[in-house]
Amino acid sequence: MSVIKFVKSVKEGSIDVVKNAEKAVLESKKINSEYNYFNAFDETALAQAMIVDKKVRKGIAGKLAGVIISVKDCICVKGVESTAGSAVLKGYRPLFDAAAVEKCRAEDAIIIGKTAQDEFGFGGFNVNIGNGFKIPLNPLDKSRSCGGSSGGAAGITQKASFPHLAIAESTGGSIVNPAAFCGVVGLCPTYGRVSRYGLIDYANSLDKIGTMAKSCADAGLLLSVISGHDEKDSTSSNNKLQYFEFKNSVKGMKIGIVKEAFGEGVDSRIVDRVSDAIRKFEDKGAETVSVSLPTTFKYGIPTYYILAMCEASTNLAKYCGMRYGAHSELKGMFNQYFSAVRTKNFGAEAKRRILLGTFARMAGYRDAYYIKAAQARTRIIEEYKQAFKQCDVLAAPTMPILPPTFEEISKLTPLQNYMADILTVGPNLAGLPHLSLPCGKINDFSAGLQLIGNHFEELELLEVGNAYEQK
Amino acid sequence: MRMNKNREIMIGLEVHVQLNTVSKLFCACATKAGEPNSAVCPVCLGHPGSKPVLNKKALEFGVKLALALGCELSRKILFSRKTYFYPDMSKNYQITQYEIPLGSNGHITLDSGRVINIKRIHLEEDPAALVHEQGNVLVDYNRSGNPLCEIVTNPELDSPEEAREFMNKLVNILSYLQIFENDSIIKADVNVSIKEKNFIRVEIKNVTGFKEIERALYYEVERQKSQDVMQETRGWNPDEGITYSMRSKETEDDYGYIIEPDLPFFTFEQSFIDEVKKQIPELPQSRAQRYVRDYKIDDTDAKIIAYDLSITQIFESIAKKVNPVLTARWIRRELLRVLNLENKPLNETPITADELIELFALLENKSITNRIGQQIIEKLVKEKFSPKEYVEQQGLGKVSDESELSIYCEEVISNNPQAVADFKSGVEKALKFLIGQVMAKTKGKGDPVLIKKLLEEELK
Repeated sequence: MSVIKFVKSVKEGSIDVVKNAEKAVLESKKINSEYNYFNAFDETALAQAMIVDKKVRKGIAGKLAGVIISVKDCICVKGVESTAGSAVLKGYRPLFDAAAVEKCRAEDAIIIGKTAQDEFGFGGFNVNIGNGFKIPLNPLDKSRSCGGSSGGAAGITQKASFPHLAIAESTGGSIVNPAAFCGVVGLCPTYGRVSRYGLIDYANSLDKIGTMAKSCADAGLLLSVISGHDEKDSTSSNNKLQYFEFKNSVKGMKIGIVKEAFGEGVDSRIVDRVSDAIRKFEDKGAETVSVSLPTTFKYGIPTYYILAMCEASTNLAKYCGMRYGAHSELKGMFNQYFSAVRTKNFGAEAKRRILLGTFARMAGYRDAYYIKAAQARTRIIEEYKQAFKQCDVLAAPTMPILPPTFEEISKLTPLQNYMADILTVGPNLAGLPHLSLPCGKINDFSAGLQLIGNHFEELELLEVGNAYEQK
Repeated sequence: MRMNKNREIMIGLEVHVQLNTVSKLFCACATKAGEPNSAVCPVCLGHPGSKPVLNKKALEFGVKLALALGCELSRKILFSRKTYFYPDMSKNYQITQYEIPLGSNGHITLDSGRVINIKRIHLEEDPAALVHEQGNVLVDYNRSGNPLCEIVTNPELDSPEEAREFMNKLVNILSYLQIFENDSIIKADVNVSIKEKNFIRVEIKNVTGFKEIERALYYEVERQKSQDVMQETRGWNPDEGITYSMRSKETEDDYGYIIEPDLPFFTFEQSFIDEVKKQIPELPQSRAQRYVRDYKIDDTDAKIIAYDLSITQIFESIAKKVNPVLTARWIRRELLRVLNLENKPLNETPITADELIELFALLENKSITNRIGQQIIEKLVKEKFSPKEYVEQQGLGKVSDESELSIYCEEVISNNPQAVADFKSGVEKALKFLIGQVMAKTKGKGDPVLIKKLLEEELK
């Protein structure tokens, strides 16, 4: 059942919010014992449901009445352990809800728990988990990756039989990547569309809170709730996504096909499925045009990783065992103590990114790396802006490969790992909204069709995605 | 930079002052708090997920100072992260301005006419305070995130005295702009080098209080003359009055600055700048020059009056009604003396321009004696009343009646034969004594000029 339908039934009284929540909690815990999608459950879920139930009976329940929502671990939920998947934050229970969570509560959603992720979002396969955490498994084949870094969010979205929405987060592709691997819809909005207040930072100039669901309509519904200005996040925009009705038509729309995304290094089966999908749009009356993004494809990966690591290395500095999270025995000078806590509690990839990020912003290297990357980013944004003069949305595959097995992943070098982001770093660097939806089976999996829109044009993406879903 | 081959000493200052906003630089917590860790929130504690939001008032204060120091104002405002690990840092980075400071290329002119150039001024957040207690180091985050303004000069000061004068002038401007608490602590990093040792630069970190700045400089100059000098960072121990080596420059900190990504760039509206400009009063130096030029008052009087905003304001309102030279003299010699004695600033007394206009007019017309004038000022500092009515009620008007004064003079002459004899044998001081005795009999109301004349006649 779609979430939109579920909310309607709840308000009509044909679905009991508390019973639904009970069933959802039980099922989620059962799934979790097998697939590791949750880092923590919110034990107040049923209590929340009872309050919502009262509001439903009074006829004053909100747009998400009784909807079960999972929250990526890096997004703060008041009183519920929020670690961003890192041992360094073990035991940290935030004093406040993230703005996105607060907005969901205001519409009477039920927060069920915190979903698994790569430590601080540092990965694309969700294998870079924090010390003591478990790797979430692909819902379609347990020997494979569910993608990352919002792996738990995508896994539970695919696996839950109850109506469910996920609040996820993307820095370089962390929403659409796992959405593609798990066969669900992932929507990463324009930078600034959703307040980042309460998001445990990875790279602030790139981090975006977005949504996952089983359909574009449901993903859009959640975005319409969580978007809008927040005075606690100076980078949040006044541009709230208003709730909408689909036109169910792509007639006259211009779709730009990203030339470089169909070439070498992309699984030919994925190329075929995505090309088929694009042909369907043509059948429905959309125009297509070939678009080239040479700068983005040549410089996107290094630009993204330099900026993201520079920012991440400063963001992670605060975790030193002094005020919250992991502590250890007080010994030695303060720097020895800080180092001991950090050495023990950060995973290997977090350490790698701290080292590389620190290096790239040190005097003598800063101009060559950090400053240069900032300049390259401006070029990439300009390149997209030019592309959107020729078309309304861009289309490409989301991931160049199908979900790899854990054995395959273990053989990848860090650089090969980073290259898996080749199709997703572009829109993330440019702060452009992008959406992934399943577009045709390949064995047990689906290819992910990635649609990229101009800034604040999420509605167009959803319109195109919805048209595809209608077949 | 000004190059002068004859210079013996080169001093530059990096001064940190706390702006007196109500709330912190990036959150709504109060800047003044009692109990340790009572004015804190997720932002100034650096909790995961919290985000800074710029306090517009702090920015306005910074702009005010930049304009008052004649700086070019940056049109684009952005902040950076300065990263280093220290227990007083809630995020282990400090949000500051690095790439583009709020203001640059300003100056302060010293009394000698020398212009000391100000390289940059910028805003940044204060770290928390470390409290050493019974062998423990405790952290008080009340201070974390307080708004600081850093003012950096070129190394153009020639002596510790000049550094002190510069600091005096800077503090004066800060309090004039009312963006600074007079009792708040000023910190500075000072760099100093001397010709004898080829101007090898030594930095002294974190000198607290501006008297200490001068002391540290005196000490350091003498030290450099008597020891080998290497490029290094030193600390200042105020108890022992010495500087000590902290680290050599080879291990200079690298702060790995990046742009603060949580604070978007923005540009000032011209209307905002115009609004701030309007709030800047005429500054002390220019006022003092104007007083000497237009009112023909003494240079020292002018500087002293212009130093304090409330004093200078009251002077200007009085000088419109009463003789400015008399006003200046009475403010400097009497009003300031009494305020100093009472240890109170002007705005904590009931005195307004109205009372002083009445009083100074009485003095100008010679209706009361200086002595009565002094007594009235002493009383005005404590309570509000009309000096004119008071003089009338108490009958304090100057006694200029010759017959009344003659009686007193005769009494004094007959009661003080020794002084009379002294005067007659040529001791001038004796006359002053006798005048004083007559004045006492009139309870200070007698006209001293007339008394002198009468006594001289009597003793001829």
